[in-house]
Amino acid sequence: MANREVILLRGDELRTLEITVGAGQARELVFVALPGESGVIDCSVSVSFSGEGGDCVLSGLYLAGGSSRVNFTVNVEHGVPRCSSSQLFKGIVAGRARTGFFGLIRVPEHCIGTEAYQQNHNLLLGDDCHAQSLPQLEIYADDVRCSHGATFGRLGDEELFYMRSRGIPEFEARRLQMTAFASEVLEGLPEDIVCQALEALESLL
Amino acid sequence: MAEKADILETLTTKEYSEGFTTDIEQEFFPKGLNDDIVRALSAKKGEPEWMLEFRLDALHRWQKMKMPEWGHLEIPPIDFQDIIYFAAPKPPKKREEVDPELLRTFDKLGIPLEERDALSGVAVDAVFDSVSVKTTFRKTLQEKGIIFCPFSEAVRDYPDLVRKYLARVVPPSDNFFAALNSAVFSDGSFCYIPKGVRCPMELSSYFRINARGIGQFERTLIVADEGSYVSYLEGCTAPMRDENQLHAAIVEIIVEKDAEVKYSTVQNWYPGDSQGRGGIFNFVTKRGLCRGERSRLFWTQVETGSAITWKYPSTILRGDGSHSEFYSVALTNNYQQADTGTKMVHIGKNTTSRIVSKGISAGQSQNSYRGLVKVASGASGVRNHSQCDSLLIGDMCGAHTFPVIECANSGAILEHEATTSKISDEQLFYLRQRGISEEDAVALIVGGYASDVLQRLPMEFAIEARRLLSVSLEGSVG
Repeated sequence: MANREVILLRGDELRTLEITVGAGQARELVFVALPGESGVIDCSVSVSFSGEGGDCVLSGLYLAGGSSRVNFTVNVEHGVPRCSSSQLFKGIVAGRARTGFFGLIRVPEHCIGTEAYQQNHNLLLGDDCHAQSLPQLEIYADDVRCSHGATFGRLGDEELFYMRSRGIPEFEARRLQMTAFASEVLEGLPEDIVCQALEALESLL
Repeated sequence: MAEKADILETLTTKEYSEGFTTDIEQEFFPKGLNDDIVRALSAKKGEPEWMLEFRLDALHRWQKMKMPEWGHLEIPPIDFQDIIYFAAPKPPKKREEVDPELLRTFDKLGIPLEERDALSGVAVDAVFDSVSVKTTFRKTLQEKGIIFCPFSEAVRDYPDLVRKYLARVVPPSDNFFAALNSAVFSDGSFCYIPKGVRCPMELSSYFRINARGIGQFERTLIVADEGSYVSYLEGCTAPMRDENQLHAAIVEIIVEKDAEVKYSTVQNWYPGDSQGRGGIFNFVTKRGLCRGERSRLFWTQVETGSAITWKYPSTILRGDGSHSEFYSVALTNNYQQADTGTKMVHIGKNTTSRIVSKGISAGQSQNSYRGLVKVASGASGVRNHSQCDSLLIGDMCGAHTFPVIECANSGAILEHEATTSKISDEQLFYLRQRGISEEDAVALIVGGYASDVLQRLPMEFAIEARRLLSVSLEGSVG
């Protein structure tokens, strides 16, 4: 995990990143987007590989409330055989916020042995917010393993009932559920970033 | 590699058994598209004034539109002035008679135009180029109050119904090909199931392109009134030719309260030869509206033909508690291109939908799934599950997935998953060592892969679909 980079995006931010993963190299990037009440975050990441055996792990968490906007564009170009990549992006959307996730995995001809995964999960907390997801696969080679998944959901009523019937107040129960949802991305991050994220998470309630 | 070359050889000689031409006297309109052609077409069909106005309005809209370019397709330029927009077999002397040559054609295609006891389960509306040749079992259906007739007859005999529902789901300005179709649509089927009637047999439309240089533009309108049920099948074929031919259809379905419609398609247009020459350009707009509460609409499609397919059967779920399902198998081989998928637009409360799409690409083909799942802000309790899998056979083909998911309601639960894989060597080895030939093994694996969809098809179609899948795949594995 030596190559893990954590990128914190706060308030208004426009960020473009280009990542090249060398032969046999492993890169890991974690994005945490906290736009606050009215921030606009637009982050676009493109990943390419320059040698075989490269591995790139991307994950991200966006917590959008108020009238904020968050947009993630992730382009992974598997231009070299036998490389792997994975993406895990999770968002909690509340208030009148709008979020978008656009992810593309492209595997050109003859780039066999590619493994690429992509996941986008969204939690919607209100009826005025809007979330969009475009997980896309463009594959021109046959011996590859590629998959993607996207979900949209809300806080589970049964879990809430379970906790409330055990004396956990509703606010606390919801916070717990959201923390659990976010922890997949937050786990192992520096403490100050986790604290900032949890604070932002609480403000969405 | 040598083995691969042999197999490609067999593939090139693969027969498209529906590729014959019927030699029959036909009348044509001159090539080109303008106000005069539309007027002549309308006059030919003896249409009322409102229909002509509808066509002209659509034509003028179309003239201002551009061909859509967002598809993952390479479409060679189409000269819309170089197409014949109307071709029909010369009418027989006696009105009720059908030319025996035509009867033979449809018989050869396995579509009996005579009402036989053995096949009493299916009523057929057979469309040959621009006109409907015959609609079977109309009497039997009429007894139940079901209207099933060629579109041009419906305009004449049931103008109120047609006017009430025409273009309610797909307006002429919807897209380029919808506008084109609205201007020049020649025939198709009209079907109305009255309140509370369960249609006793499967209804079907069979489309056949025969004449050279023509485009086929048919329109199907299905209305299922409250509490009714109908299962509708659609099939199509065309002769083998080196030039491309255009087919741009519209299917509109309106499902009222508590009604249910099943729409199944086995699309087997001529796909072009192994070098990518010829084949049908299939640009189709299909859309259903679940208008009433608890209405249900099921799409099932097996797509094996066409040089280019551009088709997105969609459902607008407006009635509360309405439900729609989309099952699709799209197989492309050689130089075929397919960009197909569905749209599920959730507007009503507690609406649910399911999407299962299986793409199979072989040869140098490109196969894309493109889909939309949209939840409006007032639509609470929405549930959707989408699954789209791609199977790649050979390293020259492409399989793509372009879903769009939009959600504006916190009560919705949406899931989408997609995988891409190939037929694994282990699977093949397992079957081969049990004495199953490579081709049979592949057909077996593909059949299993597609079975989720195939088992949704009505029986007559399921057999046909299985046969088509294995024929279309012949020799594509080395």
